[in-house]
Amino acid sequence: MAYTISKECIGCRLCAKICPTNAITGEKKELHHIEAQACIECGACGRICPSAAVTDNFGLILERIPKKQWPRPQFDLDTCISCGICIESCPTQALDQELQKVKNRHPLPLLTDASRCISCGFCAQDCPVDAIELVTEQIETIKETQKAD
Amino acid sequence: MTLKGAMGSIMTVDLSANTIETETISSKVYESFLSGMGLAAHILYHRIPVGADPLGPENILGFVSGLLTGTGSLFTGRWMVTGLSPLTGGWGEANCGGSFSPAIKRCGVDGIFFKGISPHPVYLYVDDKCAQLKDARDLWGADAVEAEDKLKKMHPGAKVACIGQAGEKVSLISGVSTDRGRMAARSGLGAVMGVKQLKAVVLAGKKRIPVHNREEVKQLSQICNKWVQFQPPFVPGWLTAPIGALMRILPFVATQDGLLYKILLRKWGTVSMNQMSVEMGDAPIKNWMGTSSDWGIFKSFSSNPDAIIKTETQKFHCYSCPLGCGGICKTNGRFSETHKPEYETVLSFGGFVMNKDLDSIFYLNELLNRAGMDTISAGHVVAFAFECYQEGIITLKDTAGQPLEWGDPKAIEFLVEKMVDREGIGDLLADGVKKAAEHFGKKAQEIAIHCGGQEPAMHDSRNDPGFALHYSVDPAPGRHTNGAGLYYEMYQLWKKVKTVPKMGPGYFKSSKYKKNIHHAKVGKANSEYLNVMNGAGACLFGGFLGANRIRIFDWINAATGWQLSPENYMEIGTNIQTLKQAFNVKHGIAPKSNIVPDRLLGIPAQTKGANKGRSVDVETMMKDYWELYGWDRDSGIPSEEAVNRVASIA
Repeated sequence: MAYTISKECIGCRLCAKICPTNAITGEKKELHHIEAQACIECGACGRICPSAAVTDNFGLILERIPKKQWPRPQFDLDTCISCGICIESCPTQALDQELQKVKNRHPLPLLTDASRCISCGFCAQDCPVDAIELVTEQIETIKETQKAD
Repeated sequence: MTLKGAMGSIMTVDLSANTIETETISSKVYESFLSGMGLAAHILYHRIPVGADPLGPENILGFVSGLLTGTGSLFTGRWMVTGLSPLTGGWGEANCGGSFSPAIKRCGVDGIFFKGISPHPVYLYVDDKCAQLKDARDLWGADAVEAEDKLKKMHPGAKVACIGQAGEKVSLISGVSTDRGRMAARSGLGAVMGVKQLKAVVLAGKKRIPVHNREEVKQLSQICNKWVQFQPPFVPGWLTAPIGALMRILPFVATQDGLLYKILLRKWGTVSMNQMSVEMGDAPIKNWMGTSSDWGIFKSFSSNPDAIIKTETQKFHCYSCPLGCGGICKTNGRFSETHKPEYETVLSFGGFVMNKDLDSIFYLNELLNRAGMDTISAGHVVAFAFECYQEGIITLKDTAGQPLEWGDPKAIEFLVEKMVDREGIGDLLADGVKKAAEHFGKKAQEIAIHCGGQEPAMHDSRNDPGFALHYSVDPAPGRHTNGAGLYYEMYQLWKKVKTVPKMGPGYFKSSKYKKNIHHAKVGKANSEYLNVMNGAGACLFGGFLGANRIRIFDWINAATGWQLSPENYMEIGTNIQTLKQAFNVKHGIAPKSNIVPDRLLGIPAQTKGANKGRSVDVETMMKDYWELYGWDRDSGIPSEEAVNRVASIA
């Protein structure tokens, strides 16, 4: 299964640029195409598309969301078990891990570069203990909150 | 039904022809052998021809991930490297954690298999759009940590498995490194990678791993995690030795619950057993000649778990591991940090060679990790050289004037550095104990400790005869990870599987040495369960939690959508074991030839220490084990019918 691009596409190339697996091809101002085998259904193409041209596996059109409103992961570090699954699930390497709590030598995850996050939610979906929640906040706020923790 | 859990295909790379292909694997193969080691056994059995040279182009080196890796299950981030072992001439496998396992599947395949020999050093690079062999001439000569750092700089976000100098120099005790020094060390498969001129495998795929029922997998993970997080305060490190001594003295033992070991692992890692194992008779001393009384509490105290943990700056978790038994430690001297040495390494370069200097153990750990050389085998080689020197077989002439006295850290470092560089006597020793003994003659061969070429691990079969059985009967011999009586107790398989022997709350130690078909039944169940774990990519330490706490069978069903019973999975374990045994027979390895040396069996029995008076009748256990599989009782060779049943699956 894979997402598809309809004739509404204006060839702006935003989707091709954001796709983490380089699955989208197409010339500028021409209809773009998603290579099914490479698509990981992260939905970033749909969230960024200005012409509502991307449909998901069920044929539903993905809604455009302004980038500032994209929900991004917040970690409940008391629940987190340092298994690293979220870090490996992230298709854009936006997450990393480091020591964050006093007297706890187990490395814990953090969003190191919020601008890389494409809001796919794979980290939250894969977290075995549901320690990740996607929340809509300003990028700066996320950084500050994590540092404070 | 679409295959879930596994990716459903493999990548084959011909290094001679510079071609890369992807091929689909039938769902029947996964249903019969799972993925991981089982898939590798299926591929290698059929594709490595009879008469292939382990160091020739026909040998196939496979990197495989587990069926459960990346599905949201816990303790399932193991990857395995497989091939025809140049050390034993038979089935070769090595198993490792870190973060490389999901990287294989995220490239859309369950395994990557290399044949041929490249005309010059190369590395394989795979991402979502391409797979290509790239020039690695600039990386040749770099140690494993340097090479990994360079490759990660060139390919940000990629995962790397590579060889160090030992693999490049085709040392038969070399392995494959990942995550800056975690090693798939055994079977000498680093030499196969080296001879193929394959410096590294660099993976940067981002594919999602399909899961049948992600929520159910998650629920099972939460059951498992609940037990992992149960961590009551435990005794200080110095008390582990007296506990071991108490276990030595008592004539009976309580059937072990792995939850206790989990608590030790969580606090210290495998080094928790450093002193306890010596005291209870589990750790071999002085090339298997010594006893616990030769390496008493005060001698082993320098490596007590608290001394090691004092240097730990942070814990290291493999992918999907909630436990974190690994660690990163700061060190003195040439290297500033190293992965926390494992129990096997501390003992190999501690009591096994009578060395009390912990700093030298840390140094050797990092040196060997970087060189990509197996610390268990290297420790055995050093002990072998010391004993040869003691017996006058090796002289100062052989060592360029360096005396080889037991316990001298300078002598140990001298030998290991020479082995890494393959210089002088190190060139003779770098291919393991068996090869070295062949060079030094008959007297040396009598004191050479190996099982079919593979040096055994730091677990004494006189204390747990199950080790003697598994060191001897497994197609990849000499492994402590293959099984033991203690492992069976911790697996608690009888709580999930109806067809395996039940254990009571305790037993007398003397029962371990009495002839009883029970030992072989336990061994068979151990082998089958380990095959399932290796097919799933599960960690042995996870398995020790007990089958009711880590629900591997249920996880596989939830991840794949299959509805197999635990007994069905144990049958899959039989399939894999049969195929690996047939692999050895195909390549001319007589199963009987891997039997452990007499010294490990207490022949003659030791006169002091924890294992005083103990002898193990491993031959009876081996025969019983083979008979239970339906193979020839005396030779261990599977019947044509048994082989055909598994070999015909395609």
